[in-house]
Amino acid sequence: MSNVMIELRDTSKRYGKLLANDRLNLSILRGELMTLLGPSGCGKTTALRCITGQVTPDEGQVLIDDIDVTNLPTHKRELGMVFQNFALFPHMTVYQNVEFPLMIRNEPQAESRERVMETLRLIRMESYEKHYPRQLSGGQQQRVGLARALVYRPKVLLLDEPLSNLDAKLREEMRFEIKDLVRRLGITAVYVTHDQAEALAMSDRVAVMNAGRIEQIGTPDEIYECPHSRFVADFIGLSNFLRGKVVSSSGEQATVEIDGRLLIVPAAGAAQVGQDWLVFVRPNDIELLPVTGEPIENELDGTVSKLTYLGDRIDYRVALGSALELRVQTDGKVRFAAGEQVRVRLPPASCRPVTE
Amino acid sequence: MRNLATVYWRALVQRKRLLGTVFLWTFFLWITTPFMIIMLKSVGRNWFGRKWLPPNLTLDWYRWAVTVANIPRILANTLIIAAIAVTISTLIALPTGWALGRRKVRGKELLTSIILLPRMIPPIAYALGVAQIFYRLHLVDKYLGVGLAHVAICAPYATLVLSSTFQALDDRVLEASAVCGANQLRTFFHVTLPMVLPGILSSIIFTFTTSYNELTLTLMTYGPHTITLPVRTYLAVGEGYWEVTSAMSMILVIPSFFVLFMIQREIAPEKLVGGFKGV
Amino acid sequence: MSDAPSRRQNLITLLLLSPGLAGFFGLFFYPMLVTLERSLHPEGQTQGWTLENYAVLFRDSDFSRVILLTFFLAISSTLLSIALSVPLALLLRRKPAGHRLLRMTVLVPITVPGLIGAFGLLLFWGSRGWFNLSMMPLLGRTEPIQVNYTLVGLVIFYVWHYFSYTATTTLSTLEGLDPAIEEAATVAGATPSQVLRHVVIPLIMPGILSGSVLSFMAAFGAFSIPLVTGGSLRPLAVSIYKQIEVFTPARWSAASAMAAVMATLQVIFLAIYMRVLRRPTA
Repeated sequence: MSNVMIELRDTSKRYGKLLANDRLNLSILRGELMTLLGPSGCGKTTALRCITGQVTPDEGQVLIDDIDVTNLPTHKRELGMVFQNFALFPHMTVYQNVEFPLMIRNEPQAESRERVMETLRLIRMESYEKHYPRQLSGGQQQRVGLARALVYRPKVLLLDEPLSNLDAKLREEMRFEIKDLVRRLGITAVYVTHDQAEALAMSDRVAVMNAGRIEQIGTPDEIYECPHSRFVADFIGLSNFLRGKVVSSSGEQATVEIDGRLLIVPAAGAAQVGQDWLVFVRPNDIELLPVTGEPIENELDGTVSKLTYLGDRIDYRVALGSALELRVQTDGKVRFAAGEQVRVRLPPASCRPVTE
Repeated sequence: MRNLATVYWRALVQRKRLLGTVFLWTFFLWITTPFMIIMLKSVGRNWFGRKWLPPNLTLDWYRWAVTVANIPRILANTLIIAAIAVTISTLIALPTGWALGRRKVRGKELLTSIILLPRMIPPIAYALGVAQIFYRLHLVDKYLGVGLAHVAICAPYATLVLSSTFQALDDRVLEASAVCGANQLRTFFHVTLPMVLPGILSSIIFTFTTSYNELTLTLMTYGPHTITLPVRTYLAVGEGYWEVTSAMSMILVIPSFFVLFMIQREIAPEKLVGGFKGV
Repeated sequence: MSDAPSRRQNLITLLLLSPGLAGFFGLFFYPMLVTLERSLHPEGQTQGWTLENYAVLFRDSDFSRVILLTFFLAISSTLLSIALSVPLALLLRRKPAGHRLLRMTVLVPITVPGLIGAFGLLLFWGSRGWFNLSMMPLLGRTEPIQVNYTLVGLVIFYVWHYFSYTATTTLSTLEGLDPAIEEAATVAGATPSQVLRHVVIPLIMPGILSGSVLSFMAAFGAFSIPLVTGGSLRPLAVSIYKQIEVFTPARWSAASAMAAVMATLQVIFLAIYMRVLRRPTA
């Protein structure tokens, strides 16, 4: 028994001209919560459907629990799934909904009853067993959906945007509830979402997808702190991108010339003088200072061109020369007005080269 | 022969998909072959005995229909009657449909059901009454009389179509037009009318076809001067000249196919089927 | 003061509704009353009251045979329509090749005049029609199979004409189903046939039912099809018409009494249908 629960090996799927999945390789470990994150149309749903068997990949293999299931029909794959629109059976009570997978498997009545009630207790819905789905709120419906997916202890729990039909506040509560439940049961889970905050909050690892490919796989902080590509950096959180040329390199560090100004950027040794680089820095990593004396290393002078009050923080646009504008977010303790001269400091540790 | 059939059947059952396809196209043939045969019959000559297809083709039967059965005259009757039925039905349905679709009406559901009742009760039941009333009013064997009888069944239909058309009118668009500075008249001609015109048109086509096809109510109110195409076809079936009957049927069926295409494109079929759907 | 505009509005509404109401009362309600009145007059007279016309109907074994036939035809054709419509809808939903054409085909029988359908069916199922041309050699028979003017034939023709109601409502209910619900059942381990049995069929049941009641009602009032293809088998609507067509002088009172019975039954069915439709669907 390897420690990999689900493996996609070079799976591709094409719909007419659209290449929905382009040679995906993905290993999901036992007991891990892996999120497939990406904008709509990036292929994350197709990847999920390759795992469920609703889609058969044109090429490649799908393995679940070390068994090649590429051509195994969905109902034999022993999966549990939670849907965006809940997909509860409207003609069945909560109890019957949760019992459904056990009924299909011909579980003995007594055992089945015990298991259903146990699962309902797990999601705190035991008092609703006789209700019909239409009598429940969205959050309750989704919890029942979760119970139905978990009741027969599937090998894998699949969650397809389970929170996007809920309102914002409930969404946040449910995040923790789902994460907690998955942890406690030690079940392998695949979570599909387009919401980066959700992905960062819930996952053990995140696979960021774009245009049918996986751009980057890593833990949430790796993905946020060290995005490899412009797409990942841009998709997760706010970003500034600065284009420039490497003018000198000294192993650990490289100096990049951007629009006539010099910026020191940590480089993992690979910098070559004369290279074109794209440097990325998060708006909230940039410091805003009043203009006093001469700028030192990684400090640039500019003018506040626009500011937006966001409550807990303030969003500034700082013009550096004519062609360059930086987005900066501060906590608002020190405030600047539009048109004011400011100095921005880009801490070298926060600057990072990314690929296009 | 039988063995071969069993072999094919087994092979089919093994291939479920194929079975589905065979089911669908058997169904298709089951529905459409009657029309194919009528079509062939209407242009076939010497098609007697056990032959799959007519040995010779001819247009004689259509010529017969025109000369002997006096089809042009009958077609004219049918069209005049349909025109009367459509006109009266539309005049009834426009205000009624507007009230049902756009105004607050107490007991709207009940009212709609009542107005649609003539479509749910077999026409023969009230056709008896209509005939007796029209005898008294000397409306039997008059264009107006037969047309008016058709209104009984056409008007509910028109009302249904128009009220749903008017209901679909978006208030906000009308408001937007007013906000843009258009007065009521301009709003009506530039906004409202273009939006409801398709609905009115389809109502007209539906009522026209209903009247054109109507048999029961015509049978109870027609006379020698107001024989319509369906009545003539019915009489011809009884007379047993099936080739000529086929030719008449081909003429009779034309508007229905227009309607068929229209339903497919414009209107949800279940609306057509259930007069009470959405009530 | 505040009453005035609303009263005016009500008046306008009433005015707008009046043509429709006039049409309804003049061409449906009043004729129905006339029919009812006539059924209470002695045959051939327009004066005097009697219940004899109804008494005759219930004494007459012919009439009970007519009612029985009408019910038999309507029920059997409705059941067969369901048997045909459910697989048809399930197959059509998957959008197989030619599904547009097939969808249109479903509507053909109720769009085209029943008269023509009936005539075409007679030609197809007749002793020299394509049905017998293909079945006789296949079954090794020398005598044609008699379908036209038989009870079995009439059932086939009824299904041909009235299944559309069941099929369209079934199909539209089926297409209103959220595919995720079936997906959920499949992922939970249900085989396709289990999905069908436990999820799809229970969920489309309201659609099947309401379509079936429509089919049934239409078949109960069937006129053109049995008029042309029934021969000596005359269900209710045809029997009523024959009282007028065959007899001289026409038996208006007898026809009216039959029509009154028919309308009453139909109103009962209608009430059932409204119930079925209103039933809180899951």
